[in-house]
Amino acid sequence: MAERVYLDNAATAPLDPRVALAMRPYLDPVFGNPSSLHWAGREARAGLVAARSQVARLLRAQPEEIVFTGSGTEADNLALVGVIEALGQHENHLITSSIEHPAVLETCRYLERRGVEVTYLPVSGEGLIDPADLARALRPTTRLVSIMAANNVVGTLQPIHELGRIARERGVLFHTDAVQAAGKIPLDVGAQGIDLLSLSAHKLHGPKGVGALFVRQGVPIGPLIHGGGQERGLRSSTENMAGIVGLGCAAEIAREEMSSEAARLVNLRDQIIEGVTAETPCTYLIGHRYRRLPGHICLGFSGLEGEAIKLLLALDEAGIAVSSGSACSAHHVGQSSYILEAMGLDAIRARGSLRVTLGRFNTETDVASFLRALPEAVRTLRPTSSYASPSPQRGAGNEPDRR
Amino acid sequence: MNLTAADLPGLDCGVCGFRTCAALAERLPSDPDLLKRCIYYGAERKTSGPTGPLVQLAEPAPKHTGAGTPQPAPGETVWQDSLGRDFDFFLEHFPSEPGPREIILPHNPLLTRELEIKVGDTLIGRPLGMSCGCPITHCGVVMQVDSRTGIIVWCVTGPMRPRQEGFKDLGYYSAEAYEGLITKARAEIKIGLRYFFQPTRCMLQWRHSGLVNYVNRTPQGTQVRLEGLWIG
Repeated sequence: MAERVYLDNAATAPLDPRVALAMRPYLDPVFGNPSSLHWAGREARAGLVAARSQVARLLRAQPEEIVFTGSGTEADNLALVGVIEALGQHENHLITSSIEHPAVLETCRYLERRGVEVTYLPVSGEGLIDPADLARALRPTTRLVSIMAANNVVGTLQPIHELGRIARERGVLFHTDAVQAAGKIPLDVGAQGIDLLSLSAHKLHGPKGVGALFVRQGVPIGPLIHGGGQERGLRSSTENMAGIVGLGCAAEIAREEMSSEAARLVNLRDQIIEGVTAETPCTYLIGHRYRRLPGHICLGFSGLEGEAIKLLLALDEAGIAVSSGSACSAHHVGQSSYILEAMGLDAIRARGSLRVTLGRFNTETDVASFLRALPEAVRTLRPTSSYASPSPQRGAGNEPDRR
Repeated sequence: MNLTAADLPGLDCGVCGFRTCAALAERLPSDPDLLKRCIYYGAERKTSGPTGPLVQLAEPAPKHTGAGTPQPAPGETVWQDSLGRDFDFFLEHFPSEPGPREIILPHNPLLTRELEIKVGDTLIGRPLGMSCGCPITHCGVVMQVDSRTGIIVWCVTGPMRPRQEGFKDLGYYSAEAYEGLITKARAEIKIGLRYFFQPTRCMLQWRHSGLVNYVNRTPQGTQVRLEGLWIG
């Protein structure tokens, strides 16, 4: 059996054994309902309180500003629908970007069907939003701006500080989907002007099935799930205690190890970028060279874009797990990526990307394995694009940020 | 370009590939191109305090009470009242209003109806006994009236207004709540906690205490409501 290397940490990151250890008591001995007043409830409640503080510290927020949810997607839905419905205005305008995760885009489309006007901001060839575009798009009826902190396909980091400042100056609430960014880059909801922020545990080596939404005190928001009034009435249902404790522990580890881990991942990332472009000349990097998540690489292959899925399968056969575009779009592998199209890539190139994402448990050995396997996998493919050569001259065509 | 670690954002985030800003700064003289790797350079401020950037947290002030104690340097914030007692924040009034906003209840709530108190009236009265025991007669202009409960929201003004415009006399009242802005604090402001604070317009510059039961961070500062008021 081939050696197994996992390089798809943006899809989900393996559970950190320290997180698993923290969660274990909450699967059995600490079984209480944190809403109960007796000893069993008190034991569980202590875990809930601690986890809330741990998540708050990661964002430099207050514990009472953290609402636990069932996922990052739920947190996004709660932020957008919860705020728009709570405001109860007759005319509502919302601004987002054209490269958001479907958790935001599909929620926007739901809101559009309910009469909300939505503006989708364009992005540059590197996947960046121009803050001037946001300033121009704001209207008197704009209630909310939702821009992701880091893109899930390309890894581009948005100028959240600048975008948040513009929204705040105009008195408009600012939400960021930080599912990919939380725990990987510093987030400071106060300094960055963030009113709402979504995150997910399993992207930071925590468990699946739990997320959180930061809601700044005073922000009007209503629940999507009604019931017993847990989470300050914003997310009724008995708390997923093991998951929440796992999220808290994962957030704490990410915060404590962020600077050393980010620096380590950037070095591994650069080894891949430099190694791939040296060994496989038809490769180009998609997105900004530096303004990207520490462990995130998105690659295109000139002339082989139509073969990206075969490339992924060839790497899988070699034991290397990577992603084509986004794991969330695994059900739509035949389609081009709307994110890459928004960045100006043509339809062929937009369906041919490979996403390689590093995590806490990847090592230089994994990088070496990938760098050995990729050229061999590429050699097995046939070019399918009639107009593109597998070895184009550098600078030719519209390949973004080729190195 | 001669940049030092102090010129860099100070986040020590590692996103540039160096563990600390100091480590990046060390390499910059020999390789200035590395600055491109700092995505926060020139863009992001240093981290805020845990309560966000709208309340500027200050260092604890040195103690100086009574005669012979050190005097504050010019511009230094003194976190003690005129009787040398510590407090945690200054309470300012909302800039759009004529003075500090208070929610008051006449000791005889029926006065609200008997005196036909309405928005814009000028009132005088003293906050007797409980809540909050100040010996000074206050003057203010009415912002809201609830004739059912007798509760009045007023903004406290100086004594010139009643002299110039006339007034209605409440006699004694209870100050039930203060609402205002915190622009300077040396403690985290948390809902549900009781604080010592200094209303900036207090004639005696005595500290007050109260329970924060509403917090809203705005570009102008942190809006709070304080109840359970007491002097000292």
